[in-house]
Amino acid sequence: MTDASSSKVWIGRGVFVILSIGIIFAQLLPLDTRPTVWAPPDWLLAMTLVWVARRPDFAPVWIVAAIFLLTDLLFQRPPGLWAAMVVILTEMLRARTASIHEMPFAMAWGWMAMGVVAITIINRVVQTVVMSVQAPLALSLIQMVMTIIFIPLVVLIAQFIFGIGRPTLGQVDSRGQRL
Amino acid sequence: MANDRNTEDYFGPIRRLLVGILVFALLGIFLVWRIDSPRVERFRLVVIDRVVPSFDWAMAPVTGMANLISDFQSYQQLAAQNGDLRRELQQMKAWKEAALQLEQENAKLLGLNNVRLDPELTYITGVVLTDSGSPFRQSVLLNVGARDGLVDGWPTMDGIGLVGRISGVGEKTARVILLTDTSSRIPITIQPSGQRAILGGDNTLNPPIEFLENADLVRPGDRVVTSGDGGVFPADLLVGQVALGNDRRLRVRLSADYERLEFLRVLRSRPNDGITDPGSLLAPADAPQSAQAETDD
Repeated sequence: MTDASSSKVWIGRGVFVILSIGIIFAQLLPLDTRPTVWAPPDWLLAMTLVWVARRPDFAPVWIVAAIFLLTDLLFQRPPGLWAAMVVILTEMLRARTASIHEMPFAMAWGWMAMGVVAITIINRVVQTVVMSVQAPLALSLIQMVMTIIFIPLVVLIAQFIFGIGRPTLGQVDSRGQRL
Repeated sequence: MANDRNTEDYFGPIRRLLVGILVFALLGIFLVWRIDSPRVERFRLVVIDRVVPSFDWAMAPVTGMANLISDFQSYQQLAAQNGDLRRELQQMKAWKEAALQLEQENAKLLGLNNVRLDPELTYITGVVLTDSGSPFRQSVLLNVGARDGLVDGWPTMDGIGLVGRISGVGEKTARVILLTDTSSRIPITIQPSGQRAILGGDNTLNPPIEFLENADLVRPGDRVVTSGDGGVFPADLLVGQVALGNDRRLRVRLSADYERLEFLRVLRSRPNDGITDPGSLLAPADAPQSAQAETDD
């Protein structure tokens, strides 16, 4: 019983890591090197938030930190800052998983949206304070809004394709804790 | 390793401590980057050097497939395109004749005048591995690096026009900052008026011309080439044509095909020899060696 559920957790983690690498890979493809006037949603952030809110055991903090530090390095962002922001946000979500499970979806969505807005603003403020080169403001705002808009789609994909639903009542993890 | 959902009273505080340390470590990396950016950027290049080539086997087929699909869409306008191309070819033939005649004339005149031109630039061709991965940065990664002798600052062109400059060289990869990136600044000359200016990227496809002395002498359609000011870039590389933007600013329509950057040429540029010697006294004829040296300068 314990073995079966712990191997399930490891498979879930593996799926999370593979999905993340897939998203990074897709973003790096040199399909069109012209600058764009709009920014696509930050799929990696949306996916991480949904996974943490739904199945925190599939997206442990060290995997989240490692993946976002890697993307910081690959995508020419200031290394460490965005990763730290995402880790703080996911930890706040993780501490409230139980109450998020009981909320209606719109409220949970509002929660995540507030989190995304907060870390985007803090990220920008910190970069202004240390006077590093900034991304264009309009683009980062577009990306923030797009990420928030696309969270429900990510939830649907997570639910129906990867089976990352809310844990049913009385479901327990490997240590017999209620999920 | 910080584990998930343990009993609150025992594991909770330890877990919180570990997460706190993790966050401080990440912020520490950020601060170190801010304080000593070259070292962290070198670390970043090492990571990219390790990670990206391992994606390469998958990158090539996926990119090829996507390009195939977009090519397939363009088959629909094939007939119209064919007609256009045939007409263009006719014009090109006339131009080619003119160019050949001019080239011969030019060579003859140069020979008559005994003009010493710059030696032609040699180049290394690399394949584009990835783009920057975010909409905020305009750069591409090439599959040539320090082992091919690349040096920071070398210009990069596609077949026609300037694309960007090398910024960051790893062992097997090198990053090219495109002219459209917000941190790109290139000294340019606008022909035929010869006005000097700076081409500053602003994350749009047509970068604006900055620090232009007299905008009245510049008209849309004028050729833009690099000026070689500051000794960073070789002179006379084609950049594009002047165009008037919607915001009434003078911009440059780049000659390089930014839609599909696939193979890029990295030009081996070396800085010009500077003249450091102020020149010494011209000696009379009994010291022939030093006089000879003076005339060489």
